[in-house]
Amino acid sequence: MQSGLLATDRAGCGECMRRSGEARSGGPSEPTRKHRVVRGSTFGEMLMQEKDQYRTDAQNAGNRLVASHVREDPFAAAFKATRMPMIVTDPNQPDNPIIFCNSAFARLTGYSDEELVGRNCRLLQGPKTDRDAVARIRQAVASGHDVSVDILNYRKDGSTFWNALFISPVRDEEGRIVYFFASQLDFTNVKSREAELAAARHQAEQEVAQRTADLHAALAAKTLLVHEVDHRVKNNLLTIASIVKLQSRLTHEEGRRRALMAVLNRVEALSTVQRKLFTLDDVSRFDVADFTRELVTDLISAIGRDDIQVTLDLQALHVPAAKATPLSLIVNELVGDAVRRGLSDGGGEIHVVVKRLNGHFLIRVEDTVEPTEPDAETAQFSGLLLEASAQQLGAKIKRSKHGRKTTVDVTLLVDQHQENEH
Amino acid sequence: MKVMIVEDEMLLAMELESEVEAAGHQVIGLAMSSEQANDLLAGSAPDFAFVDIHLMDGPTGVEVGRPLAEERIPFVFVSGNIKRLPEDFAGALGAIEKPYTMNGMKNALSYISAIVAGNEDVVPPTSLVLAGDAHPQAARRPA
Repeated sequence: MQSGLLATDRAGCGECMRRSGEARSGGPSEPTRKHRVVRGSTFGEMLMQEKDQYRTDAQNAGNRLVASHVREDPFAAAFKATRMPMIVTDPNQPDNPIIFCNSAFARLTGYSDEELVGRNCRLLQGPKTDRDAVARIRQAVASGHDVSVDILNYRKDGSTFWNALFISPVRDEEGRIVYFFASQLDFTNVKSREAELAAARHQAEQEVAQRTADLHAALAAKTLLVHEVDHRVKNNLLTIASIVKLQSRLTHEEGRRRALMAVLNRVEALSTVQRKLFTLDDVSRFDVADFTRELVTDLISAIGRDDIQVTLDLQALHVPAAKATPLSLIVNELVGDAVRRGLSDGGGEIHVVVKRLNGHFLIRVEDTVEPTEPDAETAQFSGLLLEASAQQLGAKIKRSKHGRKTTVDVTLLVDQHQENEH
Repeated sequence: MKVMIVEDEMLLAMELESEVEAAGHQVIGLAMSSEQANDLLAGSAPDFAFVDIHLMDGPTGVEVGRPLAEERIPFVFVSGNIKRLPEDFAGALGAIEKPYTMNGMKNALSYISAIVAGNEDVVPPTSLVLAGDAHPQAARRPA
């Protein structure tokens, strides 16, 4: 019995669709039903009634679709009962209205069955719905293709949900599209978790950026401070030297002048240390060989004699900054002593060695001069400075004399932890 | 030679003046700021100039150097931080790093006066860092 009913209904449905299509295109054979309804109505009422009519048509089409399946049809039952929100639309009616929706779809959207049937799916769209996603759906429907789109939809109450929408056309035996079937999947949870993750990541990145900026600022402040202090120390050393020089220029007494120049000489040794301290990449290290080279060449060329022969045997010898001052004073005293014992008065030879030897640091100054008697006070002053510096470093001083040749060796143990190999 | 000294620390400037004069040169003026330096230059052209980088009006020494280079007046920078100088040394002959020693300055001065006198056949002293040798570690010369 029901199968007979089904056949007639199907025919009726097809007729209805055709009619609706013709009504829209304004073809010659207008649907008689519509004429019946609009007769004697205002234009507004006419539109309303037309809409109502479409809705009724959609309702009828939906009913027929459902009725076309026997009550015990497991497919229809599954469609109605599934938790997956699903709808069917009829593209052969004006504006491709929903003709059927299951209760899962009504639950998802908050609209009732009656509110949904006869309406186009765009009622789910809202202000924040991506226009590109909508365009993709429209294009797929127009060209009769499947489409899978993630789209932000709106419920009846205005709240939103992320909809993983899948639409596919349903074709009859001749390949004509008779319905569109659409399934929905609310993935708002996934989306919001994604958003949470993105937000957390963004916050973490911001925090990292902030910390990095703080560190940069702290480093900049520290660098500025180091430069400022370095600048001050250098300026002060030069100022101290200038004060001593000023005093020595004003004095007419040779002994006082000599004493002032002796002080100036040591202040300048410290100045050279300070100047050389921050030239290496590792600012905490100091190259004794580099210091020695500059001290000797500056001193000898300032003497201005061309009968002084200088030979240097220097290996880069990096020591911690804390040892720079006593080591530099040692070199300064040894070289200065050689100069005072005859080099500046009669020329001669000076050989300076700075190198590592058998696990020791070796500083050797060897001079061959016509000896002159140095000023006793000057010699004592220099001797004390040498002794104090050597003592501070735990260094041994060995002096030997062969004719005109004097050799002074200063050796100290290498602390492997503090020495830099290159 | 006639020397101009641009230095904001007056005590240092005065001592440098003494050294320059002791070496037989004449100091035509001391300037403590870039403005004073420009005023000085407008009045008389020196044969040579010492220019500190940090002056009373800030790190304007390099600005003082540019017109000197344009006027082809040889000059050296005198500074505690020569790493801050532009790579081309702004046209300077070189730089003397503070705190210089009396010997270092003396040697630099005799080298400079030889160059200014047109004698190119002189060896630069260790105390004078030449343009291009700005990084002190690269400024090693054979002893």
